[in-house]
Amino acid sequence: MSADAERGDRTARNATALAREIAALGVRCAVEARAGLALLLPVAESVAALEVPATRRTVVELARRFGFTHVAVELPKDRRTSSAPADATVLRD
Amino acid sequence: MSNPARDAVEPLLAAKEAALAEWLRAHGPVAIGYSGGVDSAFLAVAARETLGREGVLAIIGRSPSYPEQQWLAAREVALEFDVPVLELDTAELDDPRYAANPSDRCYFCKTELWGRVVPVAHARGFRTVADGTNADDRGDWRPGARAAGEHEVASPLAELGFTKSDIRLSSRARGIPTWEQPSSPCLASRLPYGTAVTLERLRQIERAEAALRALGVAGDLRVRYHEELARVELGAGELPKWLAADRAAAMRAAVCAAGFERVAIDLGGFRSGSLNVLHGVTR
Repeated sequence: MSADAERGDRTARNATALAREIAALGVRCAVEARAGLALLLPVAESVAALEVPATRRTVVELARRFGFTHVAVELPKDRRTSSAPADATVLRD
Repeated sequence: MSNPARDAVEPLLAAKEAALAEWLRAHGPVAIGYSGGVDSAFLAVAARETLGREGVLAIIGRSPSYPEQQWLAAREVALEFDVPVLELDTAELDDPRYAANPSDRCYFCKTELWGRVVPVAHARGFRTVADGTNADDRGDWRPGARAAGEHEVASPLAELGFTKSDIRLSSRARGIPTWEQPSSPCLASRLPYGTAVTLERLRQIERAEAALRALGVAGDLRVRYHEELARVELGAGELPKWLAADRAAAMRAAVCAAGFERVAIDLGGFRSGSLNVLHGVTR
């Protein structure tokens, strides 16, 4: 397996694990990994949980622990719908 | 009431201001690379105070990477403090080494800027050209400083130990409106290194940031470009407000109207040099 493929696998595993840890905070989301950026694609009702400063701080710390330098939450088109299905991991360069 | 911290700082700051006046008298007349940001606005006003109207010229390098709102603000400050201004067009986008957006992109930008500013300043009798680099900047990744050195551009604020905080305090004391203005680097800084700098992308970022300002976003703001995605960095005080459903929807609509398909808010908030961290750039 090439170094790039190994890195991709590791990133995918980290994104999945990060999504699981964040779900435990009450924020159900998929995580799209874009190099050092973890992009959270939350289910609609979960965005409100991120308004709490302590939750945001914990999410940022978790993302760093899983190797991401940045973490951002996508603003859904419509809060009644999700940005993406929960528990899915998306990889991008 | 006495504030021990402020009382301790003020004599030091007064000494730095006196040293700056002395420096300006020794090096004048002085042309200043002027963007209207916190640092160059202070330097221009200080030079005007010390050297008079004939002793200073604020030179603005205009290009698509310089936001129009900042240009307007720069002109207002110059007008208010009677600082003469000269505007020159710069063409860094025509340089493929700049447009390719390497990690030393600023070197090529500043090479273009100073390559135009310095000869014009000297031809008009300004023996010294200075910029607003401050003492804090010296710890950052600033390849543009190399270009300044090659063109013998002086950085008196850095040389005399003025920190950003000093400059804000001294600006406030003079009533310069930039004293509380967020730092405002060029629009190309919103593009990750390696992503080509194009006119269209710069305009897209500028439209998005202007739309967010019009919506009411205050303080630090960066719209970071990630192809179809805009990652919005906000100051700590603003961030939670824009996660609320109604404001988030308004933010999304405004940024999408500027040309992005997707919008995200960075949960870590504003970070100067954020893309350097994301892409592992170090000195």
